[in-house]
Amino acid sequence: MKAVMIIFNQANSERVEFIFDRLKINGFTWWSEVKGRGSETGDPRMGTHTWPELNSAAMTIIPDEKVDELLDCVKKLDEINKEVGVRAFVWNIEKSF
Amino acid sequence: MSIYKSAVNKPITTFMIFTAAIVMGIYSLIYIPVDLYPEMEPPFISVITSYPGANASDIETNVTRPMEDAFNRVDNLKEITSVSSDNLSVIFLEFEWESDLNEASNDIRDAIDLLYDYLPEEVSRPTIFKFDMSMIPIVFYAITADESYQGLSKILEDRIINPLNRIDGIGSVMLIGTPQRRIYVEADPVRLDAYNLTLEQIGNVIRTENINMPSGNIRMGMMDYQLRIEGEVRESYELENLVVGHFMGSSVYLRDVAQVRDTLRDLSLESRISGRQGVRMMVMKQSGANTVRIASDVKEAIEELQQGLPPDIEIMEIIDTSVFISDSISNLSQTMLWALFFVVLVVLFFLGKWRATFIVVLTIPISLIVSFIYLFITGGSLNVISLASLSIALGMVVDDAIVVLENISRHVERGTSPREAAIYATNEVWLSVIVTTLVIVAVFFPLTLVGGMTGVLFRQLGWIVTITVVTSTVAAISLTPMMSSQLLDLRKKGVPDSRLSHARLINPLLKRMEGFYESSLRVALRNKRKVLVIAIAVFAGSLFILNFVSTDFMPETDESRINAEAELTTGLRVEETIKVARELERIIEERYPEVELYAVSSGSDDEGGMAGLFGQGSSNMIDFVMRLSPIDQRERSVWDIADDLRRQMEQIPEIVEFSVTAGGGGMGDNSVDVEIFGYDFDVTTSLARELRELIEAIPGAEDVQVSRKDERPELQIVLDRNKLAENGLNTAMVSTALRNRVAGMTASLFREEGEEYEIIVRYREDFRNSVSDLEAITITNPMGNKIKLAEIGEVREYWNPPNIERKRRERVVTISAVPSGISLGDLASEINSVVASAEIPQGVMVNVGGAYEDMMESFMDLGLLLLISLILVFLVMASQFESFVMPFVIMFSIPFSFTGVILALFITNTTLSVIAGLGAVLLIGIVVKNGIVLIDYINLMRDRGHTLNEAIAISGRLRLRPVLMTAMTTIMAMLPLALSRGEGSEIWSPMGITLIGGLFFSTVVTLILVPVVYGIFSRRGERDKLQKVRNKFTFLNCDN
Repeated sequence: MKAVMIIFNQANSERVEFIFDRLKINGFTWWSEVKGRGSETGDPRMGTHTWPELNSAAMTIIPDEKVDELLDCVKKLDEINKEVGVRAFVWNIEKSF
Repeated sequence: MSIYKSAVNKPITTFMIFTAAIVMGIYSLIYIPVDLYPEMEPPFISVITSYPGANASDIETNVTRPMEDAFNRVDNLKEITSVSSDNLSVIFLEFEWESDLNEASNDIRDAIDLLYDYLPEEVSRPTIFKFDMSMIPIVFYAITADESYQGLSKILEDRIINPLNRIDGIGSVMLIGTPQRRIYVEADPVRLDAYNLTLEQIGNVIRTENINMPSGNIRMGMMDYQLRIEGEVRESYELENLVVGHFMGSSVYLRDVAQVRDTLRDLSLESRISGRQGVRMMVMKQSGANTVRIASDVKEAIEELQQGLPPDIEIMEIIDTSVFISDSISNLSQTMLWALFFVVLVVLFFLGKWRATFIVVLTIPISLIVSFIYLFITGGSLNVISLASLSIALGMVVDDAIVVLENISRHVERGTSPREAAIYATNEVWLSVIVTTLVIVAVFFPLTLVGGMTGVLFRQLGWIVTITVVTSTVAAISLTPMMSSQLLDLRKKGVPDSRLSHARLINPLLKRMEGFYESSLRVALRNKRKVLVIAIAVFAGSLFILNFVSTDFMPETDESRINAEAELTTGLRVEETIKVARELERIIEERYPEVELYAVSSGSDDEGGMAGLFGQGSSNMIDFVMRLSPIDQRERSVWDIADDLRRQMEQIPEIVEFSVTAGGGGMGDNSVDVEIFGYDFDVTTSLARELRELIEAIPGAEDVQVSRKDERPELQIVLDRNKLAENGLNTAMVSTALRNRVAGMTASLFREEGEEYEIIVRYREDFRNSVSDLEAITITNPMGNKIKLAEIGEVREYWNPPNIERKRRERVVTISAVPSGISLGDLASEINSVVASAEIPQGVMVNVGGAYEDMMESFMDLGLLLLISLILVFLVMASQFESFVMPFVIMFSIPFSFTGVILALFITNTTLSVIAGLGAVLLIGIVVKNGIVLIDYINLMRDRGHTLNEAIAISGRLRLRPVLMTAMTTIMAMLPLALSRGEGSEIWSPMGITLIGGLFFSTVVTLILVPVVYGIFSRRGERDKLQKVRNKFTFLNCDN
């Protein structure tokens, strides 16, 4: 089991949801407004007058074999336009009940 | 859930809500009356009191003065003026605009009640008379007739006036100068004396013979008969056969001593239309009724009714006030369509996409239509002011939608789906959209609070622009995102632009402009001081030019009609007046082919009633109205013709004074009045004459008139009381006898076809037209002796003192002058200098007022408005930027918008009227909005970490398009308004000129000077609030 956290521009919400559905990923946790900035590229998303845009985040815990498939989709999403921005991070799940 | 999110998610609901607004707006539009100006109830009440037998100065001391003192306590009273003439006192009370006249008239009634017991016994109960807009005629007709002239009055009454009165919304219909049928019994005094008869005896015979009388009933057999004596004459000539007395055993018939003339009433007013005999008809509407609709109903009715008239009767329209109104309104509507067209062009030019343009432009009709609902609810009318307001708003309502749409399309271009882009992009900008709207509201809303006439006029403007702009903002954050989510689509990659596309044709052009602007901005930033000095010099220069811009109250309009009035020597008989009227008719026919129709009336209608009360009608006055061909069919304006007419009238020696009124009557007169206050008649009259001569010498001062008329010649009969007593007579008997013989006694009424005509018995004219005739008048005393007037008194010629006019409870003489070819303000300053140089006697006060005073008041109101607007705008901006400095930086562009206004007025040779001044005030909001767009972005760029100058230059480049776009939409929307040259354009074109001039100039200033001033006021690093806070964080400084 791996945890995948996708952080993306709010404007991509529907597409991320679509990816989950397409990959038959049922469970996820969704934060609709999160702030942050990229380490190298990407404007800050602070929801302020200066940086008006906002991000959303979604975390899903999926079987290992689905991870690559999901990251592949996220990459395709990013390629539509780099400016909009989407990132995914994966880590291990030690335990669950 | 936010409004834009709901709107995008429920497109149908959104669509329905706006459709509902449009439906309601259109419904309202159908029911909104059309008029020239917003409805203004003129705040005047007059109080009329008669005191029979008192002369002017008695009336002044005993009636007018105590009443004026009593009225002075009435609330909201602005000014009291009064006229005391023989037998009559008329007091005019002017109230503050929009005060409650019902309450005022109650107060007046109370004041009268308190005072009435202290007035002289004979004084009648004062009549309170409220002036009403419904007394102003909306259509004037001229009716001419040949054979039917004699019976015109009856024909018109039956066939025209009664049917017209049935039309819904008609207040009243009035005829002026109708011939009245009268039956005169004109006696020969010599014969009367010879037959030992008196005039009164003849009158009594007619009175006792000409009656029908029921005399009970009689029962005969089975029937009950009514008994009746029918003594009334059926034809007027039957009167001649009445037996009036006996002499030497034989009967004396009426025909033996008198002549019966069944004819028209003696001439005291002659009314001619285009040289033919005729009468004038005025149609008045009810207050608040739709002028345009009623006028067309009336016209239709007249057309139909004319069929039933004898063929020689012709009805022609002299003035139809609705024509000017509907022409102005259609002209203005056309102007608005052009404005719409230009705005669409501008939006398309900058956006380059049809769908985007459609979405933006859609906010225009919606916002405008919503304002109709406001008009409908408040009972307002569609008028020049409301339409001009819509024109002004037209360029501004697209701004918000543009900002929202731009952001949405930016997101869409980045590949976001339109639906999501619409939501999130609107979320990013909705707050700043509302703030810029607030700035506009801050300027327009105070307009709704201004008092006085300016307030009444411009309240609608304030409300309409506020409502439309707020609606446009609501539409921009609901409808625009919704439409964008539906209509915008993702651009497919890799499709090349066609050769004629926006991207290849206009975009490079705009890019080049942006580049040029950025580099010039950088140059300016390097030379801040120089730029500032040049700017201040330009502003100072414009203030200098202001000296050459003249001031006016309201722009005058060419309504294709001229009214003129000529006054001949006081006391002149009407026949002589008519001769001069003929001469004037000849001049009009010869010199002014533009005149389509003219109506001349000479003398006064002594049964004129109300008209006679307010106008100074008398036998020596000529009054004429001319209708000219439409503006586009003639070369001379009404003012040119009026000027020429004045030159012509100057050359007629009989004319003592005259006035020619060209241009709009809607907004009252346009005169400068010099008021001379002082008790002594001789002193003030001679000063008035002196000033009048001086004022007449001022070039451009026309129609100079003194309100105090010359003394009027009068014949007085001074009776010797001793001789009266000796002959058993008294003053009352003599005066009744004299009145019966000269004016005539109404003996009875002649009835025919349900109409009644007076039978008047009097001396034949050739026995009552000289002083010796008067002296030869026979009066029979109770003893039956015949006494000549000359035996008991003498006839003296005497000069009757003029009416006494008062203002602010002091005697006043007014000299009024109308500007021609120069502005009202210039004329007033010339007159002021004349008055200052004149020697004013002790105890006399001189004041310059009239329309000039109203103008000054209005400018004061505007000044106050300017101040309030500035403060409100400052408040809004200071809170938006959370700074005291930023508003000042932006407001730096305001003085330069005034520079633009001054230059525009100067170049186009337009006078600074209240309308133009209002335009200047409105500029504040529009100009500041541009500044905000720019400064906000500079702040943003600095917050994002760019250095000061870099931030300014980058923002300049990026914001050039939006700034140009908002400025251009507004300018282009005003352009048709400024350029229009049709009916009524004089009213609104100054506003267009002002706004364009100011906006154009201030846009340039915003683009260069505002960034430079920003640079001067800013310090490096001041925007870095984060750094400021962090400087206090010392916990990581390890060396502590």
